Amino acid sequence: MRTLTRRLLAGLLFVLCATSLTAVAGPRYTLKFATLVPQGTVWMNVLEDWGREVAERSKGELVFKFYPGGVQGDEPDVIKKMRFGQLQGGAFTGYGVGLIYPPARILEMPFLFKDHAEIDEVRARYMPEFEQGFRDGGYELLGWSEIGFIHFFSKHPLRSLDDLKQQRIWLWQGDQLGEAWFQAAGVSPIPLSITDVYTSLSTGLIDTVYCTPLATVALQWFTKTAYMTNVPMANGIGVLLVSRRFFDRLPPHLKALLHETGRATGERLIAMTREDNLKSIDILQQEGIKLVLNREDIDQTELEQLSERAAARLTASGYIPRPLFDRTRALLGEIRARGTSGKPRPQD
Amino acid sequence: MTQNSTLDPGIRSGSAACKSLPALLAVLLSLGGCSMAKVAVRGSMPMMEGGIESMNRETDLELARSAIPANLKMMEGMTVVDPDNGELRIRAAHGFYGYAFAFVEAEEPERAARLYQRCREHALAAIRPASLADRLETAPVDELQGALQQADRSSVPALFWTASCWAKWIDLNRDDVQSISHLARAAAVMERVLELDEGFYHAGPHIFFGVYYGARSPTLGGNFSRSLQHFARARELPQGKLLLVDVFEAEYLDRQRLDRQAFHEKLTAVIAAPDDLFPAMAFANEVGKARARALLAREEEWF
Repeated sequence: MRTLTRRLLAGLLFVLCATSLTAVAGPRYTLKFATLVPQGTVWMNVLEDWGREVAERSKGELVFKFYPGGVQGDEPDVIKKMRFGQLQGGAFTGYGVGLIYPPARILEMPFLFKDHAEIDEVRARYMPEFEQGFRDGGYELLGWSEIGFIHFFSKHPLRSLDDLKQQRIWLWQGDQLGEAWFQAAGVSPIPLSITDVYTSLSTGLIDTVYCTPLATVALQWFTKTAYMTNVPMANGIGVLLVSRRFFDRLPPHLKALLHETGRATGERLIAMTREDNLKSIDILQQEGIKLVLNREDIDQTELEQLSERAAARLTASGYIPRPLFDRTRALLGEIRARGTSGKPRPQD
Repeated sequence: MTQNSTLDPGIRSGSAACKSLPALLAVLLSLGGCSMAKVAVRGSMPMMEGGIESMNRETDLELARSAIPANLKMMEGMTVVDPDNGELRIRAAHGFYGYAFAFVEAEEPERAARLYQRCREHALAAIRPASLADRLETAPVDELQGALQQADRSSVPALFWTASCWAKWIDLNRDDVQSISHLARAAAVMERVLELDEGFYHAGPHIFFGVYYGARSPTLGGNFSRSLQHFARARELPQGKLLLVDVFEAEYLDRQRLDRQAFHEKLTAVIAAPDDLFPAMAFANEVGKARARALLAREEEWF
């Protein structure tokens, strides 16, 4: 009887120990991360790979819980939830960045950059100050991605920038950068929420939108337009952020892990987005979309003046700091004079 | 696979029916000179109807899982002999969809995508006029919408299974931009079905659009109120007896809206529904219950 009691006690102790071990073995930190990127897409697969890598390398100390496909709401909702501590991280486009740290949208200034090489070089130069800018706003920048080159898609062909004035152009409601540029171009856009664009293209309330080729395919806007400008108007940015309230609590080795893996994830996303946007242009052409308006069709002096007028509006409101705009213009001047954009300067 | 091996039972019954030469000639002439094998195929269609009805009433999922593949292969073999038999093509499409959805999709999504692709090919082959089927993939979407106006109510089954299988194939190939670009086409086809016969296949067009608008964030083209309207109408038409309506609403709309309570309550009610709720569609309801259990197992992960 005594032996039986001992065995029962031993068994009970084992169960108790096992239960408490299980309780301790859970992750110390859970990063709830929201994105508009839908489940099953290549971009979501990349984000999930990131989560797996972090969980493995931290030995389960830090795990991601992803909320894909916009289930946590639009970017402003996610920002709000991050501020309240309901979410710790998120992927954002320039729209969300404009609500957190607008100066980073210098990289989205219309017609400022000519190609990816220019964008990559300028971004690399600005990265330390962008990181600081996000940090000051309460966010840690883990990775930089992009949504790709933004083009105009229209029902009628755009042969010049002047033609924009004759169109009913959509403006993403609340997009200060777009608004300033359209005002500078003498265009009166129609501000609408992104959710109303497809219907408004169908009813004719608008006939021109700006978007990346990939998003135009995904949102089916291409079915309501016939032309796409060959010259992109801007390059849409994207960022991977976590709140500082969460990040600052992490031990140094997990901070370093998030930075290292976040940077690599951003780079993978950029490579995939560029590839898929190119594929999308082919698909759009197969669908009968015609490419119009090349860079050569636009008077460069006129474009610079337009850019300057837009910058004047944005810098006056403090959305983009004037010195940042001037530095960017100077930097691009250097890159173009060198004629080797994207490659490091000899003294680097 | 040879035609003979596929068609043994049918050919045997066809041969038995045509033992005398005059009878055989009469049958061949009445069918416009088509082959013996086609006679056999067409003669076996009523028997197939019985088999389908019996499968729809099946409550044992394991039995169905093992029985369906052989039937699918038999039907596919029959389509080799009689490729223009629209009714047969539609049966094959329906069968491939059901099998992929009930038994393959959750465990082997890539294989399921290939099965949905075969489903779509059979459904496309049933579309009349055949030129419309060709245009589905190639014509610009606005032209396609115009072309679909020539389809009448008799085209509904072929169009319905084309759009259903196409959408499933797209859903399982979200990592491919080319496939995503086809979603507008599948939706245009189903729009036409909705116009022609909203109640087809237990309000299938409404279930399709309930998912179509409910599975995406409004920023990405979703529309929750339209999704709700379609699910409500779908529930109305089969008088609330098809459990898959609730399963889909929970899986797509409730999950997208992050409404955990609605997700949980709907799926729990599905599991608790009586087994004899809808005997004519008992198999679909059993599949719905199995899917509800699988979805509930992921509740903690998703919410």
